[in-house]
Amino acid sequence: MLDAAVERKPSLIGRLFRSLRLPLNEPFAVLGLLIYALFVLTAIFADQIAPYEPTEILFTPDYNLAADLRPGEDGYILGTTSLGRDIFSQIVHGSRSALLIGITAAFMVALIGSIVGLVSGYFRGWVDVILMRLADIAFGIPFLPFVIVLAAFLEPSIWNVVIAMALVLWRDTARVIRSQVLTLRSRGYVDAARVAGSSDLKIILRHIAPNILPLSFLYGSIAIGWAILTEASISFLGFGDPQSISWGYMLQDAFASQALAKQAYYWFVPPGFCIILVVSAGFFITRGYENILFPKLGR
Amino acid sequence: MPHLKAALSRTLQLLLVLWAVVTILFLMFRLMPGNPMAAYIDPTFTIEQQQALMAQFGLDKPLWEQYLIYVGNLLQGELGQSFRYREPVADRILALLPNTLILTFTSLIIAYVFGILAGAYLAWKRGGVVEHAAIPLVLTTRAMPEFWLGMVLLAVFSFNLGWFPAGGTRPAGANYDSLWALYTSRDFLTYLALPALTLAIYSQGLPLLLMRSNMLDVMKEDFVTMARIKGLSNWTVVVRHAARNALLPVMTSFAIAVGYQLQGNVVVESVFSWPGLGRELVNAVSASDYPLAQGAFLMIAVVVIVMNLIADLLYAFLDPRISHA
Amino acid sequence: MRPSFRAVGLAAILAATAAVPALAGDQIRTIDLFTRPQAAQPQEFQSIQLIAQEWRKLGLDVNVRVMPWEQMSDIVWYQREAWDVTAWQMVGRPERSDPDEIIYNLFHSSTAEKGYNFIGYVNPAYDEVATAQRVEIDEEARKELIYKAQEILAADQPNMMLVHPRQTFAFDSTVWNKESVVEQSGIGIRNTWTFMSLEPLGEQKDIILNSGDNVQAINPLYISGGVDSWVFELVYDRIARVGPDGLPQPWAAESYEWRDDKTIEVRLREGMNWHDGEPLTAEDVKFSFETAVSGEAPMYAPFASNIETIEVVDDLNLVFTLKQPAASFITSSLAKINLIPKHVWEPVIEDLKTKEENAESYQEQTPIGSGPFKFERWLTNEEIVLSANEDHFNAPKADRWILRIVPNVEAALGMLRSGEINFMGEFSGDPQVLIQAAEQDGDLEVVSTVEMGFRYVAFNNRRAPFDDPAFRKALSQAVDRRLIVGAAFRGFAVPSNSVISPALEFWYDPAVMEGFETGIDVAARMLEEAGYTLEGGRLHYPGDKTEEFAK
Repeated sequence: MLDAAVERKPSLIGRLFRSLRLPLNEPFAVLGLLIYALFVLTAIFADQIAPYEPTEILFTPDYNLAADLRPGEDGYILGTTSLGRDIFSQIVHGSRSALLIGITAAFMVALIGSIVGLVSGYFRGWVDVILMRLADIAFGIPFLPFVIVLAAFLEPSIWNVVIAMALVLWRDTARVIRSQVLTLRSRGYVDAARVAGSSDLKIILRHIAPNILPLSFLYGSIAIGWAILTEASISFLGFGDPQSISWGYMLQDAFASQALAKQAYYWFVPPGFCIILVVSAGFFITRGYENILFPKLGR
Repeated sequence: MPHLKAALSRTLQLLLVLWAVVTILFLMFRLMPGNPMAAYIDPTFTIEQQQALMAQFGLDKPLWEQYLIYVGNLLQGELGQSFRYREPVADRILALLPNTLILTFTSLIIAYVFGILAGAYLAWKRGGVVEHAAIPLVLTTRAMPEFWLGMVLLAVFSFNLGWFPAGGTRPAGANYDSLWALYTSRDFLTYLALPALTLAIYSQGLPLLLMRSNMLDVMKEDFVTMARIKGLSNWTVVVRHAARNALLPVMTSFAIAVGYQLQGNVVVESVFSWPGLGRELVNAVSASDYPLAQGAFLMIAVVVIVMNLIADLLYAFLDPRISHA
Repeated sequence: MRPSFRAVGLAAILAATAAVPALAGDQIRTIDLFTRPQAAQPQEFQSIQLIAQEWRKLGLDVNVRVMPWEQMSDIVWYQREAWDVTAWQMVGRPERSDPDEIIYNLFHSSTAEKGYNFIGYVNPAYDEVATAQRVEIDEEARKELIYKAQEILAADQPNMMLVHPRQTFAFDSTVWNKESVVEQSGIGIRNTWTFMSLEPLGEQKDIILNSGDNVQAINPLYISGGVDSWVFELVYDRIARVGPDGLPQPWAAESYEWRDDKTIEVRLREGMNWHDGEPLTAEDVKFSFETAVSGEAPMYAPFASNIETIEVVDDLNLVFTLKQPAASFITSSLAKINLIPKHVWEPVIEDLKTKEENAESYQEQTPIGSGPFKFERWLTNEEIVLSANEDHFNAPKADRWILRIVPNVEAALGMLRSGEINFMGEFSGDPQVLIQAAEQDGDLEVVSTVEMGFRYVAFNNRRAPFDDPAFRKALSQAVDRRLIVGAAFRGFAVPSNSVISPALEFWYDPAVMEGFETGIDVAARMLEEAGYTLEGGRLHYPGDKTEEFAK
């Protein structure tokens, strides 16, 4: 059932797309993909959509700081922050950092995890032992504290989250991929290919990699959520990147300026809502996948 | 005794992991740029005073020597002295650990009791409207930033409704003879409620989804079908047979969840002014108090590693299909 | 940098009016301007953004660098040649109500290499005045000198002074009698005097206040975090205390009197006791001052190092002899050194002398002082409880003083409204929110006070173009301080042009504000007069000066 039997030869991209096995028959997974599409479009056209620069200090026509304006006042769609920035523009630009962090982190986690899992499961022996002990060590590192320490040492930057995820979170992906490779390897056709004189590289690329691609993608979409949540948490704790506007940064700004006490729901609800939307979109897709990949498991 | 052998080899692995984490921590904290004492050396100090302070913290020695001293001290349970508080790191950590553990375990117990019941219920009602609505909702709770959820709960239940206090573990100035007396007092419950609820809402998803899928698996198995054929009621089947068998793997996940929860605490403790290890770590890192940050980090890592081991062992003992090659 | 239309417009006007010079120097490099992150210091961050925006209009390329405090202080303090301009602040402390620390330490050339004069300001004329005021015992004469110092600074602009913020605190006026709250000038209502005199109106007799930061230590020999000083100022007495008016007054001393300009006689109050019941004697006082310079309390050493000898006359009388006359001695020594019991500390200090650690890392189980409050208990990162010392000569009217550690500002405000705390000891949020909350609740009272501390932008006087007073002056005058007050401090600050706060009425020279014109056009004219030129919209050095610091 997991065999990527190739009947005819479509283009490479077509094949890649097909081997992702996107769960297009699961309604929630489709919803998740739609949400992703919406945010990707927002991120691409952020400059066109946002009426202001997200860090621009705004003034009212009578030269006062345009601070704490309610939605709609003076034409600010979602109002302004306590230091006179346009909230709507920040939300729009926030999608950029979210997607930037989310996608690069997911890519790193999926890539590193898949390579480690593949190598470990395919070659076994001492390579496997070493790689899996490394994974054990990565499992022993508490993730959020690790990000905090890293963020405090390196210059504050959104890339800290990505680096930390690449250093630590490959572990989950690697373990799952490894066991999947072990299962695949035990099937006859790998041995058959080897007898037929295929090289290891060719066997991995032709027979094994296509079968684990959906799994990598699944762990990648979980990683998108993790990355965005983690960035939000460390921003809230004050270790975020002060130069780039993210939803986590907005929430931190809102709480530090007592948005709750000011009843400024328009300030702290939208960023939270965006985070929930993007992260759960990832989970919905994941779930659709699981139903396809492990119809029995369905975690 | 294959189990014993497996347990031994697992424990050896644990020691290896511990050593590796300790070393990574050491390197992380010592190889970073800048003078670690910069924030603490008063500018009015003379060069001699600065050097004396560096010597006091052992920062004037070569790196390998510092490492040996560090590991040697760790083996004796000595975590060094905090730059900021000028007191032993171990004392501070031990004072804060119970608060963190009680918050972690309370919230996880709530999450697991709810998750298991709700998971079983959803499995029983599979395919229904309830399930279709509930699963996305559960996924959404896991997508909420914990601090955001905490702040919203704080605004609603504390600021607006006034049902719960806004932070801390006890009423101002209240004295208790022991931690036990505090933890069993009624006041403590009102302080514990909101942070525990925040963490519980976040963590109920895992046991719920696990329980549900295990139940679905188990209910397909022969003995359940047999029981149905025997004419037992649906409810009896679910509770007596399916739930019991589905429960064990969920329980093993509890141990792993403890590790994850400790990380979530870092944020929630700051929201609810909870005097725990997570907040201490954040404070220590932002104040560049490396010995303290290192100690708090290590303590959290130790709990995570030990809990991973327990989960591994439990899993191995409970599920004979896992081999220990 | 994004070009702003206004900037380009102004540059054009400037270029048109400036006479084309025969010689133009190099283009001025991109200037690095440091600030702490918005998360930690929103007002500072906002001020710096606004200042950068104004400076760019002058044709200066400004690069704002955001960095955490540790990193910023590491560069500014320890790599004194390596930076251009940075945001900085001095906080108000009761001892700083004597101008000596600010006037001397911040600007005297002797502290330029390693001390507080990190900006490297060197002016022999200023040095002379700063040194003279130290030894001038006559107050009026000293005031003249302090005025003179302020005028030199205003002319030289070694720093760009921004504002003196307003400290805002609040309390529950249904719990505490409004009349009993003491506003200390330059400090605000959260002060030792308030805590001693707060009068309960009803059943609640505990002062419960918040702090965002943890208490580091309660140690009379260690100057640790700001919050710690709230605690030890209540537990320990001093010979003198800085009063609500900012001037020192006798405290544990019944009186003190200068015999000559190097000798001061101190007479202690009768009947003072330590919290453990032992009597407080002149021997204890002598011991306290000697411990400060024993090498075991390095942070206090500078405050007692000018003392030559201390002679104990009898149980209540002492004579201090100084090495040099010191005008600020009462404020900076007698009102600074905590009195500690000899019978408790002598064995500790003897023991510490044999060890590597000093008294700064020694924490007593139960700190013993003689102050108006006694130490009860300390729960790590949660709360500190003190109880009233009823035997004190100025016994507090409240029963207990309870400090709760609340890192979450929103929660602190919620607690004040619900009564979980009844005195807002620290509020890092928007003061407007506090005032609104008070209006809604009706039972909260908000008091804001102009601080003696100040926010400023420090120029590195060692590096061109900041070595040129005319350039510094132009940059400083480019920014209308009302913009900073309004758009960064939301009105909760007063414009500043002196390191002496108007809160210190006696020492503040109002003349420094007169004739301090601001505006881009003013600054542009000043730059032009000093020979700076605009070419292609960028500012160039005068004459044949070359850029030595370009990267």
